[in-house]
Amino acid sequence: MNLRRARDAAIIPGLAIVLALVFGSLIVIFSSPLIFGLDLTLPLVAYKALVEGSFGSFGAVISTIVNAAPLILAGLAVGVAFKAGLFNIGAQGQFLTGGLAAAAVGAWLAHAPGPVAIPLALVAAILVGSVYGAIPGFLKAYTGAHEVVTTIMLNYIALYIVAYVVTGPLRAVGATFARTPDVGNASLPILVGGNGHLGVLFAFVAIPLAWWLLYRSTIGFEIRTVGAGPDAARYAGMRPRLLIVVTMAFCGGLAGLAGAGEILGLTGFMPAGYSTNVGFDGITVALLGQAHPIGIMFAGILLGAMRAGAPLMQIEAGVPAQMVDVLQGAILFFLTAEILVRYLFRIRAKSAKVAELQTVASSYGGQATPTQ
Amino acid sequence: MRKHRYALGATFAALAIVLLAACQGNTGGSQSGGATSNLKIGLVTDVGTLDDHNFNQFSWEGAKAGAQAIGAAAPQSVVTTQSADYAKNINSFVSKNYNIIVTVGFALGSDTTKAAKANPNIKFIGVDQGICVDAQGNPDSTFACKGDAATLLPNYQGLVFKEQQPGYLAGVVAALISKSGHIAAIGGTATVPAVPNYMIGYLNGAKSVKADIKVELKYISAAPDAKAFNDPPGGKQAADGLLNANPDIDVLFQVAGKTGNGVLQSACEHNIHAIGVDVDQFVSTPDTAKCTVVSAEKKLKKAVSDAIQRVKDKKDKGGTITLDITTDSVGLSPFHDSASMITPDIQAKIDAAIKGLKDGSIKACVETPFGSCDNKNGQPPA
Repeated sequence: MNLRRARDAAIIPGLAIVLALVFGSLIVIFSSPLIFGLDLTLPLVAYKALVEGSFGSFGAVISTIVNAAPLILAGLAVGVAFKAGLFNIGAQGQFLTGGLAAAAVGAWLAHAPGPVAIPLALVAAILVGSVYGAIPGFLKAYTGAHEVVTTIMLNYIALYIVAYVVTGPLRAVGATFARTPDVGNASLPILVGGNGHLGVLFAFVAIPLAWWLLYRSTIGFEIRTVGAGPDAARYAGMRPRLLIVVTMAFCGGLAGLAGAGEILGLTGFMPAGYSTNVGFDGITVALLGQAHPIGIMFAGILLGAMRAGAPLMQIEAGVPAQMVDVLQGAILFFLTAEILVRYLFRIRAKSAKVAELQTVASSYGGQATPTQ
Repeated sequence: MRKHRYALGATFAALAIVLLAACQGNTGGSQSGGATSNLKIGLVTDVGTLDDHNFNQFSWEGAKAGAQAIGAAAPQSVVTTQSADYAKNINSFVSKNYNIIVTVGFALGSDTTKAAKANPNIKFIGVDQGICVDAQGNPDSTFACKGDAATLLPNYQGLVFKEQQPGYLAGVVAALISKSGHIAAIGGTATVPAVPNYMIGYLNGAKSVKADIKVELKYISAAPDAKAFNDPPGGKQAADGLLNANPDIDVLFQVAGKTGNGVLQSACEHNIHAIGVDVDQFVSTPDTAKCTVVSAEKKLKKAVSDAIQRVKDKKDKGGTITLDITTDSVGLSPFHDSASMITPDIQAKIDAAIKGLKDGSIKACVETPFGSCDNKNGQPPA
């Protein structure tokens, strides 16, 4: 990937971020009278706190990386599927079931030696996430059921599976509220700072892995070909159906690994009320990163930084943490409203070329389902 | 390409502005004049909002009241948006050198324990948190709670409430305003001790003033799940079923969180009296205020404010602190629009019950060593 192409790819996301920050400032300014009178400098105070909380100290940088890791994995889970022309909205469900598997195996092996317990818990999470991702892949490939619909439904199913398992069979005896037992020796070792756990490395290993898979392996070529045109791929002797299932399983495994990192690395158990948005944020990360592993890394770090800095933004500026959600939503809006961004900044559209993200839109057209 | 360069320039210019802002000197932050304490107070909520009309809001009001009482600067809050963020939010106050950190809700107990152990110089106040630690002062993964939290974590006050006492008072009120002699309570789940505590207290309170009263105690869910505490339509359905099967029930007590708001709705629709729980539900759920006679309250605002003042006065002790009626940390809310129902005779009986509970001559229930109601020794079902 040469520099010019990188710059071309980064320009729209970069401008979307800038516009989102401007938009966010306006929201902060116009909502400030509700709290303590009109304050034109409040956005600067808020953004300053956001930066300080995410990059202002060693601990803050660690917090950013720790927050970024699951977002990167979830972003890859969505982004790699984009390449195959699939819109994986199910990263949330794959994340939850993977996390649950890690919590279950971790609790079971809580007293086994760490070198045994940790890999087994991780493998369980990856396997369960893969299976949970493969289900919508299978439904898409062999019945034509659209993955957007099935993955959204599977997200809810995952939510209730977690609620059932945590309040039922896996409930820790003696705890005053419903949660799984402690993962004990299966918890990931802390490598750096207060909470810089081993799981963070998985994300940064997954990035080159995903890149190699997509751009340097045969299967990656096939995935991208299926994304660009399943019929053409089949004509070329590839097997689109199998590839769809395999891609979704791979993506589900990544999301499941993200769940394992959160449970084994941070909380140490799964509470019944476990709430997270990592899976959904992964969609923003993938879009912002233009579905490219390197882009996803930067997007994940950006969103992770925003998550890491959010508490300090509340403390220092009194701006609610939901502001981060507003920024994220605005970024997503300006990304998808690419025409608006091009108009505002007078950027001509690139010459005609198959953009990977177009394959996502095409999957709504109905022709993307491979026909036999 | 020139266009691109222009756009890139704009990007960098904007980023530069943000970074410049980041390098400016500190502004903002509210300082109140005439402070006599320089303690910095922060509060981390449970998932939800600061104005939830419930635990978050009343704990926050307690933090504000406490700050004012000790003459400290107004407290700051961090609202938790996802449960995975508890530790991060607590640590953001730690990193800014806050002196008192209030965390709201039992779900934050584990992370508060860890933070209290790691930061012995910071005072932690956990609302609704019974502290359960092992011999090293870590969260006890076996839940045996063998460690002595008071000596291991002297900087951590875990505030819990004797729910059976306001439950008992609610029972007294319910029995006295009931015309049919048939009353009921609906709880979220028997598996969270607070719920049967309220319900058993309610039963005993009702029986204490009317020995022959019929009391229905019903639990909605077998587990502490969303159905138990976060499902208003489910609560309404359960209450509708109970009230349709027993049309003579004329007072209904809810002990089921948000699920219970559906219970209150059902009571309103059946034109019977309702009793709220945890906070003053006449105020917090205005939709059902017209039939909410009174609420069995945990006085969160007072509890948090008191805990902050103990820190200021250096009288704070660590460990689980069970707050009861002797400090007015639990009790009944005002009767508001229903005050006319409370005749002098009824008021006298309520006052007598309060007095008895305070001086120990009345027990709201048979208690276990941990201060919960023992629901095995002949006490009603769990």
